[in-house]
Amino acid sequence: MTSTAFAARQGALSEAMQRERVDLLILFGNNWHADHLRYAVDFGIQEGQGIALVHPDGSSVLMLDDPAECARARAEGLDCEVVFAPALVREARGRLSRAGNRTIAAAPFHLLPYGLLHGDEDLRVKDGAAIVERLLMTKMEAEIAAVRRAAALADEGYAVFRAAARPGRKDYELIAEIEAFFRTKGVPENFMIIGVGGQEVRGMAPPGGKILKEGDLVTTELTPCYDGYYAQICRTLVVGEASETQKRAFDVYLEAMLAGIAVTQAGVPASAVAKAENDVFRKYGLGVYTTSEYTRVRGHGMGLFPDQKPQILEDVHINLESGMTLIVHPNTYHPDVGYLVLGDSLVVRENGSEILCGTPRELFSVM
Amino acid sequence: MRRGLMAWDADELPRAALAARLARLREAMREERFDAFVIYTNIARGAGACWLTGFTPYWNEGLLLVPADGEPLFATALSKRVAEWISSVMPQGDVITTPKPAALVAERLADAGARRVGVLELDDFPAGHAHTIVTAAPAVALFDGAAAFHCARGAPDAYELLLIRRADALARQSLAASVGSTAVDPLALVARCEQDARLGGAEECFITLAPDLSRPGGFLRADRPHAFGATFALRVAVAYKGAWSRSVRSFASDAQMQQAFALADAALAAFSPASSSVLKREVESTFAHIGTVFDWSAEQPRGSYALATVASADGCAEGFDASAPFIINVDAELAGARWRGARLVEPRA
Repeated sequence: MTSTAFAARQGALSEAMQRERVDLLILFGNNWHADHLRYAVDFGIQEGQGIALVHPDGSSVLMLDDPAECARARAEGLDCEVVFAPALVREARGRLSRAGNRTIAAAPFHLLPYGLLHGDEDLRVKDGAAIVERLLMTKMEAEIAAVRRAAALADEGYAVFRAAARPGRKDYELIAEIEAFFRTKGVPENFMIIGVGGQEVRGMAPPGGKILKEGDLVTTELTPCYDGYYAQICRTLVVGEASETQKRAFDVYLEAMLAGIAVTQAGVPASAVAKAENDVFRKYGLGVYTTSEYTRVRGHGMGLFPDQKPQILEDVHINLESGMTLIVHPNTYHPDVGYLVLGDSLVVRENGSEILCGTPRELFSVM
Repeated sequence: MRRGLMAWDADELPRAALAARLARLREAMREERFDAFVIYTNIARGAGACWLTGFTPYWNEGLLLVPADGEPLFATALSKRVAEWISSVMPQGDVITTPKPAALVAERLADAGARRVGVLELDDFPAGHAHTIVTAAPAVALFDGAAAFHCARGAPDAYELLLIRRADALARQSLAASVGSTAVDPLALVARCEQDARLGGAEECFITLAPDLSRPGGFLRADRPHAFGATFALRVAVAYKGAWSRSVRSFASDAQMQQAFALADAALAAFSPASSSVLKREVESTFAHIGTVFDWSAEQPRGSYALATVASADGCAEGFDASAPFIINVDAELAGARWRGARLVEPRA
């Protein structure tokens, strides 16, 4: 069963391979980096590893080293040959050695298994980033529709999260509720981290068993996946009534996010979005909290990978293009209240952006 | 990504147990004349580093460098602020966050004058990292260290066994919860099952379903609507503090078929092979009186994989260790219907 987005991707990948004069593309993936395989063969790998060999005419073979994953790929009716390859590298290398004197590219190049390239005779393979990365970053409308649906699920998911958060609950119990909700909606994957507490909290991580108590800030980023595409929402809630200090701190993040969104449009460098967000923090004397000591990025791309290029940082000068899907999130530590997050997913357009998240931009309170 | 409970409990995994594992690896390294050992880790291949440190990165990747002596070093591309959290859940090893973990490892190898470096599963090691290491530390030669690691790891120690049993209990309980649930929609059933496992403290949970066992095909993800057939099966893999187990149960709506499935469940529960050489024979004899076995496989931790197929009906998998627990997966026909089951089997005392 192929999706509309996949059909569009197949055509785009074929065109890109022909443009770059590549005869064969090797794509590698696993449950962490599933995006390249998903792009080319529409399979979301869960266990083990996989390698796809893709030809410019769209024909491809997918090799998987896990027997159950192989059976699943066949049951899903993928539009490619599926091969069970317990010795994945040996199988792939054997097929490549029979490929003859062709121009071969691979991606993600740095993650490619060592044994695939190095052996009795080293294979000459070039980095396929030029073919794949732009396709992953800039989406077609069929892909944007999937991101839009994922963002709607993120909104619904955050409502479930708010309802689940209350004093006395453990942080991982909230994750259990949200995951159960997402499974009922056909969401197979979700990138999610959480922070619970006050000034001592300097970031988000997987849950460690913290119990929610009155006055805690509870931060999360939810990133559900629909048809392979991720969209993210970042929100913060307070257990009980928000203090004036918490409200004042939140206002800085809201102003920063709005500033970032306001400058987002095609042709603008990613650095400009980060600068707009960071300038708000600087205005309030909080500039130090925009550095890597306190925060990672001021947003990032999303698509078949939940955290893809372009990263929104002041030293990233990639120009935004219409069709890129991003989250703008000025998430960082605040010295008065601890780590605080706020972010919305959007689509970059020629003259601005299309906001995908509908959850109110507020500091929520739960009792 | 790992998004369930990730926490270190000294009672469950004491530092002394990890120190003993490290000592075993170093003994194996000396046998192979390795000056250092490198283990790659990410969520798909986290078992090797987790065995030595108790930690699996929830996202991204890392390299665990085990020098000939001193503390292991975990170099990861996760952000700087995450280092403090990693230290709190990783009881053995120092943590350094860096955008280029391989460059840092190469620097440490060069500083230590390392020449022979063992790499867990060299063929599967990311080529980019290998290139960085041998370029930045030209005196270093990389060798496959899978055999040395396997030799060091051996059968699980008492602490690993307890974690495996906990993971197994979560998998079985979550399946039992789904049996008792009133869900009529397969997605709701999967949700109920996963919720139960995560409420119990699962670090990760993979659930797939065969919605209609009368149809050919494997287990599917819950990423699209499915309709139940008269017989269906759920397959649950659960991680608890880095230890994995898997359980599969088949369900029937018809009372007669429920009885047949209960007999098969009981046969699977009683399955306890005497030795690895008779695994195939014992699988077939266990189910001989109730049906025909189409396929079976056994899974155990292997290198960086938490569960790898180590024995199978077609004989193409190898490496089964009869002294260690394993997951047995069985696909059989009972009274004209397909049945699938899997459970953790512990070796006979």
